Amino acid sequence: MSESTTWKEVLADRIPDEMGREVDIFATQIQLRKQDKIDDTVFAETRLRRGVYGQRYDNGKRFDGSNTQLLEFPSGDLVKGPDTVWDAPGMQRIKIPFGGLTADQLDVLAELAEEYSDCILHITTRQDVQLHYVHIDDTPDLMYRLASVGITTREACGNTVRNVTACPLSGVCRTETFDVTPYARACSKFLLGHSDAQDFGRKFKIAFSGCEHEACGLANMHDIGAIAVTRSVNGTEKRGFRFYVGGGLGAVPHQAKLFEDFLPEEELLPVSQAISRVFARLGEKRNRARARLKFLIAKLGLEEFKRLVTEERKVMPDDPEWTAYLSDLHAYDEKPLKIAQPLNGAVVAGGFEEWTRTNVYRQRQDGYAAVTVTLPLGDLTSDQTRALARLSRRFVNDTIRATVEQNIVLRWVSEADLPELYNALAEIGLNEPGAGTIADVTACPGTDTCKLGIASSRGLAAELRTHLAEKGVEMDAAVEGLRIKISGCFNSCGQHHVADLGFYGISRKVSGYTVPHFQVVLGGQWTGNAASFGLAMGAVPSKRIPDVVARISQSYIEGREEDESFQDYIRRIGKVQVKRMLDDLTEVPPYEIDSSFYMDWGDSRVFTTGDMGKGECAGEVVPLVQFELSSCEREAFEAQVQLDNGQYENAYNQAYSAMVHAAKALVKSQFLDVPEDPDTIVSEFRTRIVDTGLLHDNPVTRGKFANYLFHAHRRDVDTYSEDLAHRFIEETQLFIEAAYACYGRMNVVSN
Amino acid sequence: MKAYRIQIKFYLESGQDIAPDTWFRVFNTWIPVTTDEVLVDVADYSHVHNGPVTLLVGHEANYSIDRTDGKTGLLYDRKQPSNGSFPNRLKAAFVSALKACRRLETDPILAGSASFRLDEVLFVLNDRLLAPNSVETLEAVRPDLEQVLAKLYNGAGFDIEHDSDPGRRFTLRIRSGYRDSVALSLRHFDAIS
Repeated sequence: MSESTTWKEVLADRIPDEMGREVDIFATQIQLRKQDKIDDTVFAETRLRRGVYGQRYDNGKRFDGSNTQLLEFPSGDLVKGPDTVWDAPGMQRIKIPFGGLTADQLDVLAELAEEYSDCILHITTRQDVQLHYVHIDDTPDLMYRLASVGITTREACGNTVRNVTACPLSGVCRTETFDVTPYARACSKFLLGHSDAQDFGRKFKIAFSGCEHEACGLANMHDIGAIAVTRSVNGTEKRGFRFYVGGGLGAVPHQAKLFEDFLPEEELLPVSQAISRVFARLGEKRNRARARLKFLIAKLGLEEFKRLVTEERKVMPDDPEWTAYLSDLHAYDEKPLKIAQPLNGAVVAGGFEEWTRTNVYRQRQDGYAAVTVTLPLGDLTSDQTRALARLSRRFVNDTIRATVEQNIVLRWVSEADLPELYNALAEIGLNEPGAGTIADVTACPGTDTCKLGIASSRGLAAELRTHLAEKGVEMDAAVEGLRIKISGCFNSCGQHHVADLGFYGISRKVSGYTVPHFQVVLGGQWTGNAASFGLAMGAVPSKRIPDVVARISQSYIEGREEDESFQDYIRRIGKVQVKRMLDDLTEVPPYEIDSSFYMDWGDSRVFTTGDMGKGECAGEVVPLVQFELSSCEREAFEAQVQLDNGQYENAYNQAYSAMVHAAKALVKSQFLDVPEDPDTIVSEFRTRIVDTGLLHDNPVTRGKFANYLFHAHRRDVDTYSEDLAHRFIEETQLFIEAAYACYGRMNVVSN
Repeated sequence: MKAYRIQIKFYLESGQDIAPDTWFRVFNTWIPVTTDEVLVDVADYSHVHNGPVTLLVGHEANYSIDRTDGKTGLLYDRKQPSNGSFPNRLKAAFVSALKACRRLETDPILAGSASFRLDEVLFVLNDRLLAPNSVETLEAVRPDLEQVLAKLYNGAGFDIEHDSDPGRRFTLRIRSGYRDSVALSLRHFDAIS
């Protein structure tokens, strides 16, 4: 029995030091918040940066079918952040860079979903994993356990570099220029926690593609989109990227702009860093609706933005990490578990052929296939996840990828194993065909759990999936390959703009009732890295959307010209004809005639938007200095704990670290590249903050706060006694307060 | 035994064909009228194979119409620490699970279409740290559990089967020839039915 131990202790030898330390810090921050020693806004952004996200009912409301009622959580007034009740179970987002997963990681994710969530893992449209209904008190243990298999939740939400995504076929794709996996991995690692990526006004998304013409990594809808290209230089093939910036969906979608036709591979990380610096410095911080990079580029113009980035790139201090990974690009190459063997006349189960047609991709490596495991609405159970880990060990080893279409891909399946794998998937209910077809509908969480959701994207997706899957093999080939994507609101987490048939949730008032509707968006292009956005065609009641899909599909089947794409067809017939086609579907019968229109899909309650809340996607804008000063307070708190435990020298050192950290935070507001060593920090602090009068100790204090630091920095301590440590922690607290006051004055001056 | 994350599942005798949206509707009506615990949300997972079909999320505990083991039943899932000794926590969990079953049996929306049998119980300690799936845990739990089961079954015999798969949580399946109702069993615990 292990009753006296903790997960942190049990997994100590498997948790990398830095990751463990980060979780320790978060655990302390939770304690500080409970003691009301950390500002609500700062804590909200802090937890978001650890992927800890409030859910829909978090603002203390729940609609029960008749009324919106307040929920009385035991915490009373204590909140996680603005409007987010402390005790309310929330969502934990888990970053999975480029969607790459191992069998061991799947096992741990399955366990976490069982013990802290609801036995369901949800794959997101950005290759993350989400667990819902997680209690915040459980999150440190959850994070230690993830860290033990190399997963961090750091910067999964908040105004940070989010999960770096990549094509799930990278490395096995028949049409890619080269495998982008090592570049996505390096970029993710380099920017994670990078000091130049901590002061954004909004989130920042990066994607990698191996080829131009497939959907691949959807480079055109990202803040940074990098597409693999090569160029011959003096007879040698050189790798690089067609490098796009400023793409994004959201309420106002922007196509990415071409920043560089050929960005050499060695410039990938430094240019990304330079862009981060420019975005942090000049990006909008107050108006959340215009704070993404796309708005900064629109405001400055691409040429000016490029000039600023180029200038920034020139003055940045060299960093060996920029190119270190290039000498070892094949370090993580995947190795197949089985020998490649063809599928030669093996006896196959019913359904196998259809599944093979839609879910099996022949790799560029002869005799191997990448198998897509279709997940309904991106969900799978803990038992299924564990079973997938077992199948991975049996057939492919650790070559698993989560996809942006909310499925899982097993790569490097020997073709001879396909029938056996199909049977094994059937045993766990994961042998559904239709991957990448019109029936493989993707949707964001919508009203199920998101505070911003207006209509039920998952409810509609479930309905359409069921309806379209029933048609299955009878479906006309012309429409089978179309994509349906659904968002619960205009913010586009379901990526409706780039779907052939996209829908986003809205509501309309009808005879005093609020009726769930979806805006119909047609003709977006998924291929070509999300090459173009669809056109809004009008609002249709939620319950009529299956009719919309049927009618538009049928119209395309019957009316298209030879080989005419869906996008071309929609453009040719035009918005007016499409609207006419949908006109009768916009009508809502009176409640007394058909009350089902007044309820949403998958919900038997009368529809309301009364339980919506403030969204958390945008995070909280907390200036970097304030964030760092908050971190100093946490360090001072830890010093106090060490003092209480009789560890006087440790307590002193921790308090000293907090003081230096606070000084650095102030210096950094003027000098971005302030080095890490305390001598330089103290020297720069003296020159830039004290000598200039910015610390502004008043005549009574006569510079004593600065002297606390200068004295401590001299380190003339003989014995680390309790008294000394106690006094020094007091001084540290005062120094941090002075730093806050100084920052407040600097802010007033700069404003 | 410090573990408090206790799961208990009783299986449906009748009502396996009740549609998920009916369970969804029923659970939603519980949220505003339940005063002794905080219930917050209902989730529909009927699209996944052998999962939690309909989940009522609470602060202290979750309740779900569950099919994770391929058979439909009511799963009570205690999440928050509760007061008292392990035997008391066990008893409280069984009583809560039974009360939820009884509430469904008498729910006006279901109109008597759901009933539960008690001859089979799934028992899980949902904590791999405090209750690893081992013989040692079984030995530690068995005496207290047997006392609670003696009450549940009013002295009738029962068998305890341990699922020793090391990847799983500590899981027991309890079988008995006991055929009495949920209401009667609640009385064995001196609880109001």
